[in-house]
Amino acid sequence: MTALPEGFFEAVARDFPADFLSVDPSDLATFGRDWTKVHEPRPAAVALPRTTDEVSRLLQLCTAFQVPIVPSGGRTGLAAGAVAAKGEVVVSLSRMRRMNAVDVLGATVRVQAGAVTEEVHRHVAEHGLTWPVDFASKGSSQVGGNIATNAGGVKVIRYGLTRQWVLGLEVVLASGEVLELGGALEKNNTGIDLRQLFIGSEGTLGIITEATLKLTRLPGKLDVLLFAVPNLAGVLALFKEARTGPFVITAYEFFTEKCMARVRRHRSVREPLSAPSDYYVLLEVERAEPEALEAWIGSLFERGVVTDGTLAQHAGEAAAIWALREGISESLSATGMPHKNDIALPIQDLEGFCAELESVFEARYPGWEIALFGHIGDGNLHVNVMKPDAMEKAAFLARTHEADHTMFELVRKYRGSISAEHGIGLLKKDYLGYSRSGTEIEIMRAIKQALDPLGIMNPGKVF
Amino acid sequence: MKILVALKRVADPDNANKVKIPASGEKIDTTGLEWKPNPFDEYALEAALRLTENGTQPKVRAGEVVVVTFGPKETETTLRAALATGADRAIRVDASDDKLDGDLVARALKALVEKEKPDVVLMGKQAVDGDSNQVGQILAELLDWPMATFAATIREEAGALLVGREVDGGVSTLRVKLPAVVTVDLRIVAPTSVYSTKTPSTHKYNDGVRFAALPAIMAAKKKPLVEVKLADLAPDQALKVSYHGFAAPPARKAGIKVKDVSELVSKLKNEAKVL
Ligand SMILES: Cc1cc2nc3c(=O)[nH]c(=O)nc-3n(C[C@H](O)[C@H](O)[C@H](O)COP(=O)(O)OP(=O)(O)OC[C@H]3O[C@@H](n4cnc5c(N)ncnc54)[C@H](O)[C@@H]3O)c2cc1C
Repeated sequence: MTALPEGFFEAVARDFPADFLSVDPSDLATFGRDWTKVHEPRPAAVALPRTTDEVSRLLQLCTAFQVPIVPSGGRTGLAAGAVAAKGEVVVSLSRMRRMNAVDVLGATVRVQAGAVTEEVHRHVAEHGLTWPVDFASKGSSQVGGNIATNAGGVKVIRYGLTRQWVLGLEVVLASGEVLELGGALEKNNTGIDLRQLFIGSEGTLGIITEATLKLTRLPGKLDVLLFAVPNLAGVLALFKEARTGPFVITAYEFFTEKCMARVRRHRSVREPLSAPSDYYVLLEVERAEPEALEAWIGSLFERGVVTDGTLAQHAGEAAAIWALREGISESLSATGMPHKNDIALPIQDLEGFCAELESVFEARYPGWEIALFGHIGDGNLHVNVMKPDAMEKAAFLARTHEADHTMFELVRKYRGSISAEHGIGLLKKDYLGYSRSGTEIEIMRAIKQALDPLGIMNPGKVF
Repeated sequence: MKILVALKRVADPDNANKVKIPASGEKIDTTGLEWKPNPFDEYALEAALRLTENGTQPKVRAGEVVVVTFGPKETETTLRAALATGADRAIRVDASDDKLDGDLVARALKALVEKEKPDVVLMGKQAVDGDSNQVGQILAELLDWPMATFAATIREEAGALLVGREVDGGVSTLRVKLPAVVTVDLRIVAPTSVYSTKTPSTHKYNDGVRFAALPAIMAAKKKPLVEVKLADLAPDQALKVSYHGFAAPPARKAGIKVKDVSELVSKLKNEAKVL
């Protein structure tokens, strides 16, 4: 354990309940890191507040003692944003999971930041409503983490990012001061919208303690289709068709057979198609007339846009198809060590980009296993380079670090983003300059300086 | 081989709209429920398909699979899905869910079997809604046919089926002469559970129930689906089972966290009294 300033523990012991702070080694190991496994967790302690007032008083203490802190949600982040590797105090929101009654008329709900994403879905579904922030980690990720990362997910093509579904925030600044930003209003044009600064701030500006979420009606009847296409060009050709199809697209995801093979290795799979395909597309659509949908599918086969496919016949099959896509991240980590990149490109450039990427891979990772999947409907590609089993972790990381520069150079050339939705955290910090200019980064630092003059909020992350 | 598969739809327990029971407790409120085929019946259909094909060429059907369900018009969705998966024909016996019991369904099935003359009647060991586990057994008795329940494996032989049933302490194997009634358990969809005489013994199926391929889903629209009146099959529609009341199970109590193993052991001993 790293030493904290003298007197800090005594002050905490005096002002807070006995179970407020833990230095139990297993807690330190658990709360010291997120989903990434690159950094060794080394927090000095884990604080588990129950109320905004406790967060506020803790931050006053941290300011007084100049103790660095790491805000921590469900720890499913993929950018090492919630990693405490330098003796910080982790502030976990996991005890702050209260959810207020749903305002059905306004279609909003006020929750504490520690509420688990999927719990929020359940809580509001009773009223025919949903908070459309949805991805595979929803069973553990928290509203505060979703907001702090401006998370995306599998429904972005239909609903946009988390940012669009947050009306108000309660945040605690490093000084301990509590700010209420935005309230529950849809309309509020009263100067610079400070709430937006905290959305996607990855814990660098303050701790989000409560949020008023904007809700929307649960979707109507959804149809889930899985298609086999021969290659990436086929994925994009099918997307073009889907854009003009007789329905509303709620998800357009693709993955490769390499991903499927990892999922199969990890757990038993109900095979969706009679034979494996190099590329798969998962299409989910809302409000499709059965006849129109079938005519559309028929024409895809006639014109050879797809080679095989299936349509879920009931909700259980739809869930089974989704499980294949949603299982990928977990199966990659369970069966090996992936080096993850989460990049975004303008959709019309994806094909050109990928052709060039292929040659980067050939030069940098000859013969390595690369698992590609992503929310292709948003131009978002998850590139997972798998560590060859015989290679040392350190050598692997050095190699990928180098190769990332080459890949991000390409991303810059195509005006893409080096982090589409996972954020920057520690993992992508060195590469921020590929997507943001020097001036932009300076402005970010100035904003942080204004809100956190001592630099105790998640220091060393993002910029 | 000609196989008749009985399929029932059940409320989907994973759906957000849970089964609701009005305060009167008279019946289950089915509004807003989503439906899916009873999983054991889906397994029966998969077994029927495996028995009527060469597993290496699953698109060619050798024999005939007829699916039947009892219910209102909406249950035709379940039948269409079965046709898309590979069944040849479908029959819907028009009936209302709350005016059926295992005995009436078995009597109606008997009449249907006499008309259709299948070699085998396959169905799930039970439906997961009522868990009654009756129809297969009553039907075999009414037809005076051999029966094998809880089938985990089926191997086709000339004029017979060799059926493996998991029982306490091992597997009991029955040879049933055709025609016969077989009800299936969940292991029937494992990769090496079912072999027709056409499927090579080296063939391994994918685990589980097959998905319907898109071209087959569209072709299924043109397959025959007929409606039959319940009265034409079972003139006497009196029920033997009557329901006197429904109640939701008690809500689960929230769990607790224990400090360490010794506290856990002590709670298991003294509070839960399971040790
Ligand atoms: C299997 C899997 C699939 C995923 N799929 C997606 C996906 O499709 N799209 C996507 O965008 N992400 C995805 N993720 C990444 C991740 O789940 C999301 O980024 C999620 O929003 C993180 O929430 P969390 O509560 O786990 O945050 P954490 O990992 O705990 O924290 C993330 C960041 O937010 C900060 N933070 C957390 N809580 C607060 C708070 N209350 N106040 C201030 N700062 C806070 C942390 O300091 C850290 O910088 C996936 C992750 C996994 C493991």
